[in-house]
Amino acid sequence: MGKNIKVVPRHGREFKDRLYLPAIYNGMKITFKHLIDNVADSNAVDTLEYPEEQPTDITERYRGLHRLTHRDDDTMACVACFMCATACPSNCIFIEATERNDGKDEKMPSRFAIDTLECVFCGYCVEACPCDAIRMDTGIFSLIGNSREDFVLERDQLLKHKGVFGEENSRARK
Amino acid sequence: MKSIDIIVDGQIYSATKGSLLIDLLIKNDLKVPYFCYHEALGADGNCRMCMVEIEGQKRPQIACDTLIKDNMIVKTKGEMIDGVHRDVLELELVNHPVDCPVCDQAGECKLQDFYMDYGLYDSKIDVAEKVKHEKHIDLGSSVMLDQERCVLCARCTRFTSNITKTHELGIIGRGDHARVSTMPGKKLDNPYAMNVVDLCPVGALTSKDFRFAQRVWFLTSTPSICQGCAKGCNIYVDHNKLKYKDEKIYRFRPRRNDEVNGHFICDEGRLSYKSLQEERQEFMEIDGREATLGEVLGRYDTLLKSSENIVILADANLYIEELEKIISYADSIGAKLYTPMESYVDEEFGDDWLRSSMRASNAKGVEMLSIADKIPDEKISLLIDFNHPDAKSIEAEHTISMRTHSDSGKSDIVLPLASYLQSSGKIINEDGIEQFSDRVLECSEPVATVSEWISILSRADIGGEV
Repeated sequence: MGKNIKVVPRHGREFKDRLYLPAIYNGMKITFKHLIDNVADSNAVDTLEYPEEQPTDITERYRGLHRLTHRDDDTMACVACFMCATACPSNCIFIEATERNDGKDEKMPSRFAIDTLECVFCGYCVEACPCDAIRMDTGIFSLIGNSREDFVLERDQLLKHKGVFGEENSRARK
Repeated sequence: MKSIDIIVDGQIYSATKGSLLIDLLIKNDLKVPYFCYHEALGADGNCRMCMVEIEGQKRPQIACDTLIKDNMIVKTKGEMIDGVHRDVLELELVNHPVDCPVCDQAGECKLQDFYMDYGLYDSKIDVAEKVKHEKHIDLGSSVMLDQERCVLCARCTRFTSNITKTHELGIIGRGDHARVSTMPGKKLDNPYAMNVVDLCPVGALTSKDFRFAQRVWFLTSTPSICQGCAKGCNIYVDHNKLKYKDEKIYRFRPRRNDEVNGHFICDEGRLSYKSLQEERQEFMEIDGREATLGEVLGRYDTLLKSSENIVILADANLYIEELEKIISYADSIGAKLYTPMESYVDEEFGDDWLRSSMRASNAKGVEMLSIADKIPDEKISLLIDFNHPDAKSIEAEHTISMRTHSDSGKSDIVLPLASYLQSSGKIINEDGIEQFSDRVLECSEPVATVSEWISILSRADIGGEV
């Protein structure tokens, strides 16, 4: 056995565990506590009246809708290297590259589209990006459209999305 | 030449005495890194990457300039020699801009490969401190130069001075300021210029035509034969099918064949992939209108029955197998078969290297099958054309054309024909070398190959259902 393997004793073999009754008792205690609380005061119910009420517990690690970041001078950070498209497990990133003439870089995407209907929101594109040009920190969790095409987000739309955790620009492409 | 045995990494190999050590290493797939050596250009010994340890020698030696001698014992790996490789590579990368995300060479770049194999050190130099040169210079002939990415291996300059003998490229400046350049105001201008893109081991010379079109790791390479002229140069066809789109060819690259084209192809052949995909005939037509197969077969039957003097024209770019099919088809319907060769001759195109003035790739095959050249001057009631360029100018009462590309020529029936990459068969080049070319791309309905059209039409001929 390798030295990095730790043997953990199996739980649930004791007499008390095998009776099941103490566990059922503990479970029902919690259930009835919530039932009494909720009946006594309906405002304490732990649900949201969505969409009037919006969630407040979205953290920095939450993978929301994608966005393309900007450089400090507000131009696009993406250089169309196709790393995100290569890493993408659902092949839903469509990039067409073109020449960039503003002296910032040589290459940029003329089209950068994400088919959010095919996207599995795994975040591999964010990890693969060498330019910190694509992020999922928009906090946007819902997208509404009338046709399939509405869910294919194009470059300019992705550039309009804002980051909600204070970091707006790319940290790799200044 | 005497054959002798030498030991490389503990293995015995037989080699020709006096031949280059690096050739033996490459031939036997022994891993040796190199930039400047190229089998077509010979040894230059400037990159110093191909260092090997030779027993009895004080210092490591470059394999590309070492001649094989008796009782040689060579080591290509080991702690010492790996350290040498790493240090030489680090020196090559001192001023490299490391802009792989925007570099088209990424994925087929020797610097990247060797860094993963031998490098893996942490860079001691900040990108901001690196010596700056000019980037994205248009050299002419669809070649882009990035002086910063260059490792000064001089393959491109040796190509223009030793092989094309046009001397456009040179290395100017010294030390950190050395860079590849043309003379002021001069452009890279010769019919083989784009070969420097393949020769360049890094991203310094890239193709303007392929620029940003695709990342190379998405491409599939399939071996094939270029049909731009009767030389029959061996090529790789790099193609890819994007999601929701048709399969597309992105570039042709030369494929080594010492009997035919060596390591190179001409620029016109290299860029001929474009015309293969543009303005293709994609539908069946009757009298200029799109038609169904049923209508086509009906019209074909009436035309065939009412015609007496039937003439078939066959393109001299078709494969031997296809020409044989056409010959037996002509026999079965009692038609005469011709392949006029005059319009294939282009004296301006030919040269003494890889460009032949005979632009039909299978001219020798047509000759071998003894297909008649000249059409006699008589009234033609039905002309069945298999993509021959002369078809438009030949007078006939009725015409059935099988075309790869749409053109304005008037025709009773037009059938879409597969291009040579969508079919397979043998061609014989102008030197009599027979080469097989496999199917690269699939045909999309209703495009079909010559053989397929003949079997479709022949079934209609005997009144069968299709």
